Amino acid sequence: MGKIMLEVNGLTTKYITRYNEDVYAVNNVSFKVEEGRSVGIAGESGCGKSTLALSLMGYYFAPLHYMKGDIIIDGRNISGMKPDDVRKNILGSEIAYIPQAALNALNPTRKVIKFIEDVVRVHNPKMHKKEIYDLARERFETLNLPAETLNKYPVELSGGMKQRTVIAISTILSPKVLIADEPSSALDVTSQKMVIKMIHDLMELGYIKSMIFITHELPLLYNVTDDIMVMYAGQVVEYGSAEQMVFDPLNPYSKGLMGSILVPEDGTRDEKIVAIPGTPPNLKNPPDGCRFAERCKYAKPHCRVYHVELTELSNGRASRCITSEQELREAYKNE
Amino acid sequence: MKGYRKYFTKKIIWFFITLFAAVVLNFALPRLMPGDPVAMIVSRVAQGINDPAAIRQMFESYQERFGLDRPVIEQFFIYVGNLLQGDLGLSFSRYPRPVADIIGAALPWTIALQLPAILVGWLLGNVLGALAAYIRKGFDKTLMPIMLFMGGIPAFGMAVILLAVFGITLGWLPVAGGFEQGLIPHFSWRFIASIIRHYHLPFWSIVLISIGGQAIGMRSMSIYELNADYVKYSRFMGIKDRKIVGYVFRNAMLPQVTGLALSIGGMVGGALVAELIFSYPGLGTTILQAIREGDYPLISGTALVITIMVLLAVFILDVIYGFIDPRVKATQYD
Repeated sequence: MGKIMLEVNGLTTKYITRYNEDVYAVNNVSFKVEEGRSVGIAGESGCGKSTLALSLMGYYFAPLHYMKGDIIIDGRNISGMKPDDVRKNILGSEIAYIPQAALNALNPTRKVIKFIEDVVRVHNPKMHKKEIYDLARERFETLNLPAETLNKYPVELSGGMKQRTVIAISTILSPKVLIADEPSSALDVTSQKMVIKMIHDLMELGYIKSMIFITHELPLLYNVTDDIMVMYAGQVVEYGSAEQMVFDPLNPYSKGLMGSILVPEDGTRDEKIVAIPGTPPNLKNPPDGCRFAERCKYAKPHCRVYHVELTELSNGRASRCITSEQELREAYKNE
Repeated sequence: MKGYRKYFTKKIIWFFITLFAAVVLNFALPRLMPGDPVAMIVSRVAQGINDPAAIRQMFESYQERFGLDRPVIEQFFIYVGNLLQGDLGLSFSRYPRPVADIIGAALPWTIALQLPAILVGWLLGNVLGALAAYIRKGFDKTLMPIMLFMGGIPAFGMAVILLAVFGITLGWLPVAGGFEQGLIPHFSWRFIASIIRHYHLPFWSIVLISIGGQAIGMRSMSIYELNADYVKYSRFMGIKDRKIVGYVFRNAMLPQVTGLALSIGGMVGGALVAELIFSYPGLGTTILQAIREGDYPLISGTALVITIMVLLAVFILDVIYGFIDPRVKATQYD
């Protein structure tokens, strides 16, 4: 077992709405990421994936608020730290973020290199312009990005270039954990491929030590990450290796999610599209018992009554379902 | 750079095309006004003369002197020819004073009143609007209604309120003129003090109104920018809030720069109300007198000054905007 780069214990965060209602978008989430490994987070929209990404940074601003839990990066617990210390010592250098809308993530009136200077100087205020430029150029070149990009304004870059530039900027300080929130969702397939290759390179060259990759595209996760974690209504519902999760999902929700993927095979056009019926519950008043029961076709009356915890199974997997593994497998087989 | 030169040339060509159109309109519009200016002058000059033949002769001699007896097309070419030599002609109503001379005497008053007022109003308005967007809460909630109120009052309304309150009720400041009546303009402390006292009311009537409009615009732009994705990303990259606020306000300012350039360009026209209400000796007062008396050359001359100022402001804005906003620059190079 490798060194643990990121350990999250019972992390709970909430949004406070304009009407002073609490929305627990991340509820008691725990997981670990080892050095050199990557975890994918999947789920429908509104399941708390992006909120989890924001919560992991340990730097909160309204309407998101920290409630409880620990975020431990390479042995250092950042959840009790003062916001300004997190900003100066953690963000960018220990844990870095690639935003969902990377296309607008750069200030349109600031040259790329100027922004890199601002980022680097948060941690090394005295670093000389020339040194920063050399660092940035070397990093860009290693990642197959043209060095001229540095002297351009974001408007002068194409969508794919902008995305890769943002990734290069996010990782310029070689963070231990990289959180990528749908970094390739808005891109065409070629740019998507380049982004994925770049992330692979970053891992391989050791510029990042571990990664959390969030997406709703499950086939992509199978190609990119080692493990997959499925979220539903702010909770983790299943955790396992990418292989297990894609080919042998156990939790009914994960099963439904994988079943909804359209594969371009013969007959797909005529087949009925399988999707999970209904929508995720409103997190202002989450249902009692299992949060998925409402939409689950294997649900039994007691599912709506008893609260279920994430339970460890064999082979390092975990699932949140009151029905036993055998029973579920039986039910799946009979379909 | 080649693309930019092309852009620049195109802008210059357009500048001259608009200028030409403006000159044609400046020439034509006063002549479309009802009333015969020569008749007006003659009736003024010929008071007490009863001989119709003498009056007719006077009328004809004035018409000839002003060139109004010739066909309109010919008048136009003479007008343009004179313009190219820098000659704006002689005023009808203040004959034989040259138009250039009258404008030259009035323009400094207008610029000295308007330029500082526009700049101060713009700066204060933008700072207040930006602060309201950043601080939110009570500051925003108390400031914005005041700004909406101030921005909503028409220019003459604000001028009359100030005049009534500070000029008449409180009697703190003089209500009319550019300086004390009876003083001869010269360089002395007394004269300067008098100018400053007379300056206050027209100055603040312009400043207060522009503060309102600018603050409202800047506040919305800043709120929009504060919620932009780059703000969130910059925060997560550990950049200090103060620095991010710098990014935001720089970007929010960009549309405001357009507003500033246009108000500087439209300065003379904008001066009308404040100058008229406070009988300030600027170009606005001159225009009104010229229109009242059908003084074609003076109307054309003042209108030309206004046109050129607006066109120049827009032209300069077009040229420099690319340097302050790279997004615009990208389109200039296309």
